[in-house]
Amino acid sequence: MLVRILNTFFLAAAGLSCLALYHVSEQTRVERVKLASVERQIVDEKSSMSVLQAEWQRVANPERIQHLAETRLGMDDTPTVELSSFEMLPRRGEESPLNADPVQNASLIAPSRDTNMHLVVARGN
Amino acid sequence: MAPTVPSLIQRRIVVAGGFCVMAFALVGVRLVDLAVFKGQVTGVSVAAVDETPPVRADIVDRNGELLARDLPVFDLYAMPHTFWDKEEAARGLAAATGANLARLEKAFASKHNYVLVARQISPDIRDRVMHLGLPGLEFHPAVKRFYPQGIAAVQVIGATQAVSGGQGVDGLERGLNARLVAGQSAQLSLDMRIQYVLEQEAEAARKKYNAYAAGGIVMNVNTGEVLAMASLPDTQGTAPKGIDPRRNRMAQDDYELGSVFKIFAFALALEDHTTRMDELLPVGSGFKIDKFTIRDAEHMPALMKARDILAQSSNAGTAQIALRSGADRQRAFLANLGLLQPMHTELAEWVRPILPRHWGEVETATIGFGHGISVSPLAFVTAASMIVNGGRRIAPTFLKQDGDRRGEQVIKPETSAGMRDLLRYVVTDGTGKAADVLGYNVGGKTGSAEKNEKGRYVAHKLLTSFCAAFPIDNPRYLVFVMLDEPHGANAEGVMALAGHTAAPLAGDVIAHIAPMLEMPAAAVAPHAPTKSSS
Repeated sequence: MLVRILNTFFLAAAGLSCLALYHVSEQTRVERVKLASVERQIVDEKSSMSVLQAEWQRVANPERIQHLAETRLGMDDTPTVELSSFEMLPRRGEESPLNADPVQNASLIAPSRDTNMHLVVARGN
Repeated sequence: MAPTVPSLIQRRIVVAGGFCVMAFALVGVRLVDLAVFKGQVTGVSVAAVDETPPVRADIVDRNGELLARDLPVFDLYAMPHTFWDKEEAARGLAAATGANLARLEKAFASKHNYVLVARQISPDIRDRVMHLGLPGLEFHPAVKRFYPQGIAAVQVIGATQAVSGGQGVDGLERGLNARLVAGQSAQLSLDMRIQYVLEQEAEAARKKYNAYAAGGIVMNVNTGEVLAMASLPDTQGTAPKGIDPRRNRMAQDDYELGSVFKIFAFALALEDHTTRMDELLPVGSGFKIDKFTIRDAEHMPALMKARDILAQSSNAGTAQIALRSGADRQRAFLANLGLLQPMHTELAEWVRPILPRHWGEVETATIGFGHGISVSPLAFVTAASMIVNGGRRIAPTFLKQDGDRRGEQVIKPETSAGMRDLLRYVVTDGTGKAADVLGYNVGGKTGSAEKNEKGRYVAHKLLTSFCAAFPIDNPRYLVFVMLDEPHGANAEGVMALAGHTAAPLAGDVIAHIAPMLEMPAAAVAPHAPTKSSS
């Protein structure tokens, strides 16, 4: 009797294990297809990003921007003036480069090649 | 009691049980493999996506702006025998890809089974072709090297072979080929904003002064990084006959640079204390050496102080100063600055300097003022940087560097400081006034060299140049510009000299790039005399 019960149990277990194996195998196949699809999508998106980055670089190059600024916005090619840099700004509590003297007139002569463009500064005390 | 022998059924049960245990064990092993080891143990892993990686790595500038990248493209082939209407297919494909219609019609009508329609079509063109709904088309994936900045710095960046996955043929594409092919991207020292300014200003000057060619270099004197390098014209359409627009004249051509070379004669004089800068030397009637008399292009006073000899660029005076050090010392000094050897960088192109066969007294005198020796502008700029950067060695590079890369002392720091004062004096009181930019204390030297044609110097064919360092009290950058044969209405007679052509060009470049380089303008005293000129 015990032998028959064991026999039936093992046969049932074997059948179930076959089913489980098939299920796992099928699930793996489906996931593999999904994974391949996602990875393909990632590759395509990366490729698109790569193309778009290159395209952006092309349309944003200085020559094109200057041409657009001159033709569409009527801007001129004028040297800019940097008065100071971030590093030169005093931190809170530090002594300022001007020793906290009152500034009566802003002071600078613009480093322009054009002699008409001089901003003269005088510092008061 | 005798042991009982298992019956046949019992043996079968044991065997069946054994199989079941093995089956469970296999299932268990596989489950562990899939769950934990992702299928690696049993060798049944998930198939990798068929990805075609870029063959060549990117090139970017120092700010990360893209300069060169491999982009996916496709070669399109057609099997004409599958088309219902070959003429209509040819028209559709020609319209979609830009291929020549007559060629396609002829190819489709021939007996060929496999016809190349177009090479290196982009993904959007492929989509357009797909919409035609034609059978018998094949897209072969490939890559194409794309340069988003167009021809900017074309001779420096270089190019690759036109085929998919092609090798670098010139410039950095060739010089860095092994690195790029290995997938390692290259961040260059070039700053495309500076490059654009240099190219734009040099081209404007080339047109204004009707010069055959123009060029320039911007170098960080403390790191040797080349921020910009231009050789113009750089397009076939604007190039005069005999000028190769792909040639990097700054790195692969030698020039007798003329008076900018006086920088080295004076540096040597300061280094060896052979001449005091307030010492008077006779220059008015020229300087006789051997059977030659060295004269100046412009009238000079009878006696000049040494510093004025540099400021007014007197050849006769500089020859005397150069001779005080002698040939051997001059040769050793120039060799120590790297001017007598080829200048190798990451670029594929380099050139050997042209030196005199016999380095005697006459040669020492002429080399003092920049004749009788030809070097590449890149070698000159590197040596000049060492003169102003505190006198320490640097190596030119096209790759971005971090921090100060100055090496051993080449000349004494006092000599370098003395040279900076002299170069500032040239700009405030000499031939370089047009290079001054308010707020940026420019120091520099002009050079107007007569070109040597068939062994004779031609007076009206000049190579004008200007070498500028700024801010001169503690230089960070060196700007070198050059114009090849300025002539015409804006450059007649003395107006063709460097002080009127190359110096203003250098000033224009500095005025534009200094703010980009985050250099605040120095405060200028109110009501100070202004020296702006253009």
